Amino acid sequence: MASKDKYSNDLGLTLGMLTLRIWLGCRALLTGIEKYAGTNSSDKDVLIDGVPNSYGLTDTVTGKVYSLSNYHGVPVPLYEKFSNEPLIPTWGLNLYDSILGPALIILGLGVLLGIAQRISLFVMGLVYTSLTFGLILINQSSGVAWLGVHIILVVMALALAKYNRFAVLKKW
Amino acid sequence: MNLKLPALSRRDFLAKSTLGAGLVLGAPSILRAKEAGAPADDIRVGFIGCGKQHEVLFNAMVNIPGIRYVAACDIMKARVGRTFSTIKSRFDTNINRYLDAEEMLEKEELDAVFVATPDFWHAPHTIMALEAGCDVYCEKMMSNTLEGARSIVAAMDRTGKLCQIGHQRRSNPRYRYTLDQLIQKEKICGQIVNINGQWNRALSSSQDIVSKPSILPDAETLRKAGFNLGADHELSLEELRHRFLNWRFYTALSGGPISDLGAHQIDIFNWYLGCQPTSLMASGGRSYFKDREHFDNVMCIFDYDTPQGNVRAFYQVLTTTSSGGGYYESFMGADGTINISEREAYTKIYKESGADSAKWDNLVSRGLLKKEAAGKAAGGADAIASYESAPPDEYALPGGLSKAPHQPHIENFLDTIRGNAKLTCDARHALESEAPIYWVNHAANTRETIHFTDEHLHT
Repeated sequence: MASKDKYSNDLGLTLGMLTLRIWLGCRALLTGIEKYAGTNSSDKDVLIDGVPNSYGLTDTVTGKVYSLSNYHGVPVPLYEKFSNEPLIPTWGLNLYDSILGPALIILGLGVLLGIAQRISLFVMGLVYTSLTFGLILINQSSGVAWLGVHIILVVMALALAKYNRFAVLKKW
Repeated sequence: MNLKLPALSRRDFLAKSTLGAGLVLGAPSILRAKEAGAPADDIRVGFIGCGKQHEVLFNAMVNIPGIRYVAACDIMKARVGRTFSTIKSRFDTNINRYLDAEEMLEKEELDAVFVATPDFWHAPHTIMALEAGCDVYCEKMMSNTLEGARSIVAAMDRTGKLCQIGHQRRSNPRYRYTLDQLIQKEKICGQIVNINGQWNRALSSSQDIVSKPSILPDAETLRKAGFNLGADHELSLEELRHRFLNWRFYTALSGGPISDLGAHQIDIFNWYLGCQPTSLMASGGRSYFKDREHFDNVMCIFDYDTPQGNVRAFYQVLTTTSSGGGYYESFMGADGTINISEREAYTKIYKESGADSAKWDNLVSRGLLKKEAAGKAAGGADAIASYESAPPDEYALPGGLSKAPHQPHIENFLDTIRGNAKLTCDARHALESEAPIYWVNHAANTRETIHFTDEHLHT
């Protein structure tokens, strides 16, 4: 009976860990990818009676595209606010702006695939903590709370690390 | 300043050459000759006036191919310098800079000149450029006086050169489409009985313009340029500079808000109806800016006799209040209303509940209109059924303009110079439309109805 309970608990915790990995991994990976997103708009002639109008009326078609040139690590409005903060040096902000997107992608992949699970989760926690630092300075309490939820999930994942399965690199 | 004088200008060549007939016969090819390195069909452009409106025009020109920027002129050195730098950084071209328009026209080989000076200089500068053999794009109003505007038409006729007036909506695809297809061909408004137009502008956009004194022209330059016109005393340097920066506030220098803002929209009334008004009533006041010479708010009513019947057109310009929908011209008919504006956001089309739904559905299916929303009653406990009208359905134009609002008008001007188009607003047609506007301030001052005659409106 006891061994049956233990088996059930282990399976539940394993699935719980897997769920956290998928959530945290996707969250970081897609957030990183979104930093390369932009819009691409093109104008096309309006069709009247099935043929292009002769007046030059156009319809603007806007689509979402990803490219390296669209990259913004720290969103522009936040960047402007951070740049006015005396506790955030310009060089640090620029460095952070450059590495945030790639870091989130690498960490997201690491957690999702289970590569050095504990280290990946810990570094992810540090990244979310660094974001929290900036948001505290510009007094965005809701953002701080939102990141706090992320930290709780990271801590839960670290606590469940011993139940980790389906990992590419179990060490660390 | 680059004031180098060409050894022999094109016009000097034509006027003064004593060369033989063989060379004269060869003149057409010389006339078309361009500076080395310039594509053969480039239009050589000069600017008279390098202030704010010049910037609007230039920003609308930068994406038009086939322009060679040659020279710019303004009595304010800093403005000419800014124009030079802008063109240099954008096109890597060094234009020649002038403080005197006459000198620029004499020394430069220009095909086209853009006049964006204060209203009271439009006619002198335009006529000067036409007589120098240039085609001219002149900002509206054509002048601060009706006589000045008429003199532009006379100069255009006399010289045979092109003169486009800056009523840029006349080349806007949205405006042209609305008139041709929706009003004239499909008659979606039915009988138009009323027009309602406005430009409501906030106080924040109506304040005095100020500038660093160190970059402004001196008193002698400003007097020479006529900024003391209409003054009843010797003006101080400070007063002259205020007039230079804020010429729109002075009756001797401009037509005031009804001319600055209203002219664009009243032009649309006349263009769309295809006729001039028969009478005018107006009222205006210095209700807020009590020390300005012009009225800060003006309301006027024009009456028209059209083949469809009588039409009344109300127009108001406010410089104190922006609420109420911004700026638009609304053509209200028995079947529908078209609220059109240079801003796409202010443009709406409404179908009256009694209009033929099948016809409007057909227009949507053919792509002539977009349906936005079904009419929605305002509701509420205070609605009294017998007072209410069924709410109109809301539609939109099928497309917009993907360029700066002034670009199509400038393109039309340049295409006409190349012989590929016809001006959409030459000086004569512009004056037909502008003439009634010159009478609004007079009607507001006298509080008398003006019944227009040929004497008032002739071109």
